[in-house]
Amino acid sequence: MLCKIAWSNVRRAGRDYLVYFVTLMLAVMVFYAFNTITVQADFIASDTRELVRMLGGILSGLTVFLAAVMGFLMVYANNFIMKRRKREFGLYQILGMSRGQVSRVMVLETTFVSAGAAVAGLILGMGLSQLMVFFTGAIFQSQIENFSFFVSPFAVGITLACLLVVYLVSLVFNLRVVRRSKLIDLFGAERRGEQVKTGHPLVAAVVFIAGVALIAVSYARLWRDGLPYSGTTEETEAFLITTAMVIVGTLLFFFGLSGFLLKALQGVRGFYYRGLNMFTLRQLNAKVNTVSLSMAVIAMILFLAITSVTGGMSIASSMVENIELHTPADFSQTIVYFSTSTSAGVKAWAGGAETAVATEPIDVARVMSALATDADGQPVDFSRVSDDMVQVDTYDSMLPGADKPVVSLRDLVAVTGDELPKGIDMGSAEALGLAIMRESDYNALMAFYGKEQANLGEDGYLLTCDMGDTLGDIYNHALGQGAELDIAGRSFHPVIDELDLSAGPQAVSSMGSNTGTIVLPDEVVDELGCPLYNSTLIGNYAAGVTAEEGQEYLDGVSLESYDALVMNDAGQAIGTIGSRATRATMYETVSSMMGLISYMAIYIGFVLVVACAAILTIQQLSSVSDGSTSYRILSELGTSEGEIAHSVLKQQAIFFAFPLLMGIAHAIIALKVIIDLVQLFGGISIGSTVGLAVVIFGLAYGGYFAVTYLMSRGIVHDAIRVRKTL
Amino acid sequence: MPLQSQTPARPQEAQHMRTAYPKNPPAAPTAPSAAGMEASRAGVPRVLEVQHIEKVYGSRNAITRALSDVSFSVAEGEFVGIMGASGSGKSTMLNCISTIDTVTSGHVLINGADVTALKPAKLTRFRREQLGFIFQDSNLLDTLTARENIALPLTISRVAAKETLSRVEEVARRLGILEVLDKYPYQMSGGQQQRVAAARAMVTNPAIIMADEPTGALDSKNARLLLECLETMNRTYRATVLMVTHDAFAASYTHRVIFLRDGRVFTELNRGDSSRQDFFNRIMEVVAIMGGEGSDAL
Repeated sequence: MLCKIAWSNVRRAGRDYLVYFVTLMLAVMVFYAFNTITVQADFIASDTRELVRMLGGILSGLTVFLAAVMGFLMVYANNFIMKRRKREFGLYQILGMSRGQVSRVMVLETTFVSAGAAVAGLILGMGLSQLMVFFTGAIFQSQIENFSFFVSPFAVGITLACLLVVYLVSLVFNLRVVRRSKLIDLFGAERRGEQVKTGHPLVAAVVFIAGVALIAVSYARLWRDGLPYSGTTEETEAFLITTAMVIVGTLLFFFGLSGFLLKALQGVRGFYYRGLNMFTLRQLNAKVNTVSLSMAVIAMILFLAITSVTGGMSIASSMVENIELHTPADFSQTIVYFSTSTSAGVKAWAGGAETAVATEPIDVARVMSALATDADGQPVDFSRVSDDMVQVDTYDSMLPGADKPVVSLRDLVAVTGDELPKGIDMGSAEALGLAIMRESDYNALMAFYGKEQANLGEDGYLLTCDMGDTLGDIYNHALGQGAELDIAGRSFHPVIDELDLSAGPQAVSSMGSNTGTIVLPDEVVDELGCPLYNSTLIGNYAAGVTAEEGQEYLDGVSLESYDALVMNDAGQAIGTIGSRATRATMYETVSSMMGLISYMAIYIGFVLVVACAAILTIQQLSSVSDGSTSYRILSELGTSEGEIAHSVLKQQAIFFAFPLLMGIAHAIIALKVIIDLVQLFGGISIGSTVGLAVVIFGLAYGGYFAVTYLMSRGIVHDAIRVRKTL
Repeated sequence: MPLQSQTPARPQEAQHMRTAYPKNPPAAPTAPSAAGMEASRAGVPRVLEVQHIEKVYGSRNAITRALSDVSFSVAEGEFVGIMGASGSGKSTMLNCISTIDTVTSGHVLINGADVTALKPAKLTRFRREQLGFIFQDSNLLDTLTARENIALPLTISRVAAKETLSRVEEVARRLGILEVLDKYPYQMSGGQQQRVAAARAMVTNPAIIMADEPTGALDSKNARLLLECLETMNRTYRATVLMVTHDAFAASYTHRVIFLRDGRVFTELNRGDSSRQDFFNRIMEVVAIMGGEGSDAL
């Protein structure tokens, strides 16, 4: 019997439950589909399989986090439904059901809905995961091999576990509603809910303006201070204050919003007293207490979703866009020299080996053949795959014993009048010296790249860099202004007036290899006695060697030991083996990174957006059905159904649009600051690859909005019709 | 019904009734009443004409005849009451006249326009411009202040804001509710709410104001205040009022009472020049006769 009541309740309260059900189902579907990634890996060509498996681990962790967020939101939504049904639970008790029985009805209802959502969600998830294999393959730019239908017990397990938690938590909250309530309250609930508690509109307007002001101040603070990248206490505190301000500001904004709109538009009588405008505004204002908090929370969640998705995907896409620039050759091998400050530390680490700061470049090919072997166990010989190689040596501008670099970014900024980019600590900017390169090395590299040689003469210099944006701008300004630099008591002038990014790379890399190098005449570098910084061997595969063959040979290279030290002729340790990179692996790294980030971004974003939209939908639908009487009155007063629907649409558009707009506004400011920080290391572009994400989220959010409106129209239609059939 | 038991019908007053049909009379019940009214109000245009309306609910197996062949008319500036027991069809009739419900057959003419023939889109507009409503529960929008509630029919009709506000003030002053204009419904007493509803009903100067049990939820003091309100509206604005009630006291404020029973016009009473007390007594007699014949007590 209880079962029957519960089942008919679920059917009767279908509208409220439908949204709850659909959202839970979508969550189950997405949880399942994304967690099948480890199984999907089996269908993917082996080269990226490991990476996809790793992603699987990350996504499982993420699922737990998202389930927690989802659980919170669903409990909230569920609570909302329950609150509206207090009267019904009161009625059951009046009719003689015990609290225990009422609780059991509730448990059964929740069980029906959750179980239904689980089954439907898993079925949809299984369907989606089959499709996702191809999407995964595309994202990781990999082939799909031997595809067949699959089911992942692991994914089913983790999904059901998460759902179970959501179920149990909402159950506890639901039971509390029944258990805690007194009969009189249960009966009074509906009536009291109808009472409109409208604060003074003027107060609301003040609250709203305070909110706007707080948000504006926090924006300004964030703009000025940036992110707390250096981690000092004051900076962290300032950042926390800014965060608190934006949260409080957002809350105030939404608490004051409707009151402010009301007050402001009441002033415009011609607008206020026209059509249903007055009704629309009053309806909005009446719900301040119920919905302001959730609108604010939703704005913040949307902000997080937008920021993480856009930020992550933009960084990844900028890497993709610049990958061609950053891989000027087929492969490279770097050796990193010890600097004055590191060599002492290395001495202790290397077991007391004698260390020194190198002043003469060492032959990278020779070092490698001494310290590494190929797949056949033979000493490494790069000439087996390449006949076109060049060694690039860069020098450290920090001379031994000196307290500041020969040329630093700060020197350039002093000349150009630019600001030091955010993310560079003023205190340590002293250390941000440029690397130095000999003119002859530079010309050798240009010859290798097939580019024009430079002639510096006696007092010329030029700058190179393979990262655009913030750093590139400073260098360009310096070159453009013909900045004179004092080095070793002499004045140098630039021989180019614009940075050539494609002359910048000094190695094969995924994100750039040259934050800034000054090229000086050979004799000046010698005269300065600069210590070495890096030596890199860059090469292209020989004509008869395919990229696969080259890759295979280089993949086979292994060091004799991981802590192998580079020795000079005097038997002193002067450096370590640095990174070895090929164009193919860099492309792969970047595209995998892109895939990884896209995957996580879409996963996080989708779940958050759906959860937010679901809450708005449930709230709106219940408020529309609460308003049934009002719509009937309006209809009797001679308002057409269309006009009423229009008023409902306006209200709902405000409820859906404002949190989204606020989230976007927050995100724009946050992204601006994040990008300031990230731009140091290379260009960034928003909007190119976030397209897919925007479409998916737009569909989800807009879909919920559309469903809300259509269902609301149905409610309004019924409300108007009711009287006709009486 | 306390009123009924306090004032038993006296036989000698039964002669004041023009017609009294004991049971479903074979002749058309409307003929004498229509004739009588036209005689008494010759030359006054008729705002409402109800012609042989029928309302049938249900499907073939379970038919409920809520109204059968009801006809009457209301002249401009008249205050007409409709009485009947619950189930007599009076609410159905009001709904049919007010275009909230549709008739099965017959015609309803308001200011000469046949509302049964109007398309839904025109109906909405018609309702807005020609009709005013007062319900038992005041049906005010609880998120709006009294001022806004009264203004609503005007704003819906896109009357300019300035005119809207001055008309609201004017009506409110006449009905003595100026002091509650900026209150919300939940801050007002039931009587104030009903008077606000009355103000809302007449602010558009409708052709006819429909009041459905307007005093039903009020105590006697507030009921009287509201009825006086309706009287004022009728007298000073020449508003035509059609009031459905089961309360003889409320009905005694009208010029004429039409009695419904089992979906038919049972009889009607004209107040003429008699006092309200006198009219009340006559109404009670009819009520007693109708009640005495096995119908539901009123």
